[in-house]
Amino acid sequence: MTHKVGVRVSPPAPDGTRTLAAGREVSVPDGTLLSEAIRLAGVPMNLPCGGQGRCGRCKVIIESGTVQHRGDNRMTPEERAQGFALACQTAVTGDVQVLVPPQEAIVRHLPSEKAAKEKPSLPFECDWRGSPLVRRFFLTIEPPSLSDNTTDLERLKRELAKQHGIAEFTVSLPLLRRLASVLRQSWIEGKGWLVTAVLEMGSWLSDSGGLPRLIDLRPRQSGAEYRPGDGTGPTYAVAIDIGTTSNVVYLVDLESGQYVDGAATYNAQISCGEDVISRILYTRKEGGLHHLQGLVVGTINGLLRELAERNGLDLSEVYAATVAGNPTMIHLFLGLDPGYIRLEPYIPTANFPPPVTAGELGVQINPEASIDCLPGVGAYVGGDITAGVLSSGMFKTEKLTLFIDVGTNGEIVLGNADWLISCACSAGPAFEGAGVYCGMRATTGAIEEVWVNATSFEPTYRVIGEVRPRGICGSGMISLLAEMFITGVVDKSGHVNSSLSTPRVRVGEHGPEYVVVWAAETEKQERDIVLTEVDISNLIRAKGAIYAGFSVLTSSVGIDLADVEEVLIGGGFGKYIDIEKAIQIGLLPDMPWERFRYLGNTSVLGAFTALLCRDMRRELVAAARKMTYLELGADNRFMEQFTSALFLPHTDTTVFPSVMRLLQDRKATGKVPST
Amino acid sequence: MTPAVQIPIEKWTGKVREITLGATAADGGTRAKTVTVGGENTLPFLSFEGSIPHSPAVALEIQDHYPNDWSPLLKEYWGDLLRDPAAWARKAEEVGADIIVLKLISAHPEGDNTDAAHAAATVKAVLGATGLPLVVLGPGQADKDNEVLVAVAEAAKGERLALGNCEDKNYRTVVAAALAHGHLVVAKTPIDVNLAKQLNILITDMRLDLDRVLMDPTTGALGYGLEYSYSVMERLRIAALTGDSMTQQPLICTVGEEAWRAKESKVNTGVPAAWGDWKKRGIHWEVLTASTQLLAGANIVVLRHPDSVARIKQTIASLMAE
Repeated sequence: MTHKVGVRVSPPAPDGTRTLAAGREVSVPDGTLLSEAIRLAGVPMNLPCGGQGRCGRCKVIIESGTVQHRGDNRMTPEERAQGFALACQTAVTGDVQVLVPPQEAIVRHLPSEKAAKEKPSLPFECDWRGSPLVRRFFLTIEPPSLSDNTTDLERLKRELAKQHGIAEFTVSLPLLRRLASVLRQSWIEGKGWLVTAVLEMGSWLSDSGGLPRLIDLRPRQSGAEYRPGDGTGPTYAVAIDIGTTSNVVYLVDLESGQYVDGAATYNAQISCGEDVISRILYTRKEGGLHHLQGLVVGTINGLLRELAERNGLDLSEVYAATVAGNPTMIHLFLGLDPGYIRLEPYIPTANFPPPVTAGELGVQINPEASIDCLPGVGAYVGGDITAGVLSSGMFKTEKLTLFIDVGTNGEIVLGNADWLISCACSAGPAFEGAGVYCGMRATTGAIEEVWVNATSFEPTYRVIGEVRPRGICGSGMISLLAEMFITGVVDKSGHVNSSLSTPRVRVGEHGPEYVVVWAAETEKQERDIVLTEVDISNLIRAKGAIYAGFSVLTSSVGIDLADVEEVLIGGGFGKYIDIEKAIQIGLLPDMPWERFRYLGNTSVLGAFTALLCRDMRRELVAAARKMTYLELGADNRFMEQFTSALFLPHTDTTVFPSVMRLLQDRKATGKVPST
Repeated sequence: MTPAVQIPIEKWTGKVREITLGATAADGGTRAKTVTVGGENTLPFLSFEGSIPHSPAVALEIQDHYPNDWSPLLKEYWGDLLRDPAAWARKAEEVGADIIVLKLISAHPEGDNTDAAHAAATVKAVLGATGLPLVVLGPGQADKDNEVLVAVAEAAKGERLALGNCEDKNYRTVVAAALAHGHLVVAKTPIDVNLAKQLNILITDMRLDLDRVLMDPTTGALGYGLEYSYSVMERLRIAALTGDSMTQQPLICTVGEEAWRAKESKVNTGVPAAWGDWKKRGIHWEVLTASTQLLAGANIVVLRHPDSVARIKQTIASLMAE
């Protein structure tokens, strides 16, 4: 028995290569897979996973006719209702009319995508207008005369009180030294002194905030078009995330409460050690601390200059900064000796560092601007995590929540509105693309997702931006490792199976490896993009440390992982982390996908929120004080859990039932060779 | 009269796998006898608690190259036999070994670098000289292990040899050879419960039956990590008895190799007089390490000195007596 299958392609391509009207029709035997029928009809369709129903990339719409679905758990009921089907998992059982949508446009509906945000915004309850950190005041001041001989400073105060109700403020000596000349430079014929005074409206240290502080005074050129630095433009501030591996700066307009732009790069300290411990050891060298402080400040200044250039602003008009980072990073940034963080009983100099000025640190924003390092919790859980807890909202939920910040220093928080417990584990920089041969940050040119065909072992990948690939970012590595594992390119210990007959598996300069992209298809066309066995072992160590961290944390409070109602994931994965693949490699616990939410870089988001919203800044202190800190270094269960997690997905296979089922299915269908 | 104290009886849900080394003519091999180990459903020698169907076995280690680095005490005992693996094996059988462990040391690329054919011929010769089951270990260099063990597996098809060592980075070839020619494998991991379990999973993933795998959890000699390896073996055994199928393989311990490497047994120059008689000390070192490993759950102890064999066999016999 044969059936007619009509295939239409949608939408029509603008260059006429694809037409909707014509369509094609083929006759196929009963039971033929739709993907096969579509191929016979001459419509190109990629099956990235090799037609196993694994990748969900071959979605088509059944317009009419009868088909039979095999188990395709990738479809939501809504999609099914809309007529979507996976071509590789659907058999033709009658005459059928199908519509093939453009493949690249199909994105998978994983829970993580809902949370992926392009532009950060403040939490709903945030009132940034109520109490701005920094305010600018335009003043017109009558210059002194013999009949009005009030001093410059008192004159400024008098006018601020008269025109804006600010009766008193403090001022630093350097600014006071410039006061006389700035005021006189601001004289405009017929108008008097025209100045812009910038005041920090009290610090967050006390509820009342204390006295405002004059942080800048500059002549205001009235009438002319805005030029950077003329005192008439926006009031800027920055939110900074100092990660062990990646540094991020968000530029924020304090007057509109809006994110303006962001920039990110690797922390220049990487050259002095990949993780916090090796950085701490580096400070023991002569001048080591000073060197590291200079490197991170240099990295941040580079990002600031990049933002200034792109947005046409004068950095002296950036009047505040909040900084989130782990305790070691904050110590190095402030030039504090981090030595005691490493040694029992693991004591930082301060969890609540006082505000300092940019000038003191050498950060090239306005030298009088306050730099506010967000409060931390313990030796390895810092302001980056309290910021993450703040931006994720977990300290306000009733749900039992597990928050995992996947970074070089992996931090984990468990709890809800009533209690919070945190710990940190050293995962290494692999997920941030560092310490991996072809690794890179999640930016243009990075491979962010990969599928490997189960029979030919050929990969299909998605690159960030419309460019040829340059390297692989963290989400790409998770995806690639999972695919290599599921298709048998690597075994459960992460060793490459050299007996596969594909040129993509080979022994390279760095040992056994898998070629993801041949040099000719890369951006620079110089070298192949590969994942080596050494990279894989770094990835497995990273995921093992994080898995061990939250396993020990949950068991330390007597909670079963399965009881966790929501898992929030932070980290520099760009827009996307594939929950399913992360489970397959054993990075995340095996639980229903809808319990996971990917939040992006929660550290910088928290810093951004704290910068704009004083109430949230206060909540942050409360959250930090509420958090209990579990020192894994003093917990011998960690090592045991860690070695147990150094396996794909885990030595204890019973904790990953869904992955084991998948492997069983693969074996049963013979798609994966056993050796 | 009822005893004042009720001895608590632990009821375990799992048991150690029963594994037979060697095959007689009836089973397609040429061995005069086979050795079965494992099968116990209780901790070592606690016969009041469960059943222990098989005594632990004692193996003697031989090599296919004169063991230059061995203790003079061992060289003195074995003499010229050390130059002839077949004669050495025959003597080992005479002095009471249950199993022969043959190490193909001459194949090492940094040594004589003998080839696969040489290895196969040596194994054939040893098989001809003794009726005992054989464990055959490669020189311990991955590529060379693969090369010689494949040839050995083929040459000794059907003999139910145990081939080793399988390690996490190099197990595929050896497992495939064992699969193809009806042998067992020895899975060696460095004193760690998880690593031992992981290697068993990897081997099973290649569809080698779990009753064809022996675990070598790596032995620490007396004074050189014995407590550590004891603790790991004990944990492995408890996991096995609680039903973890990936830890239920019988344990083989390379006692002789470790014990005779210790300064205390190996040499007698520059040591305090209080250390006493050298020969006694050397044997004590091996026997104490072996008996401790047996108490931790060893199913096969591999020794080097025949005097130790006699003493350990006696120890086992007393411990197994009701």
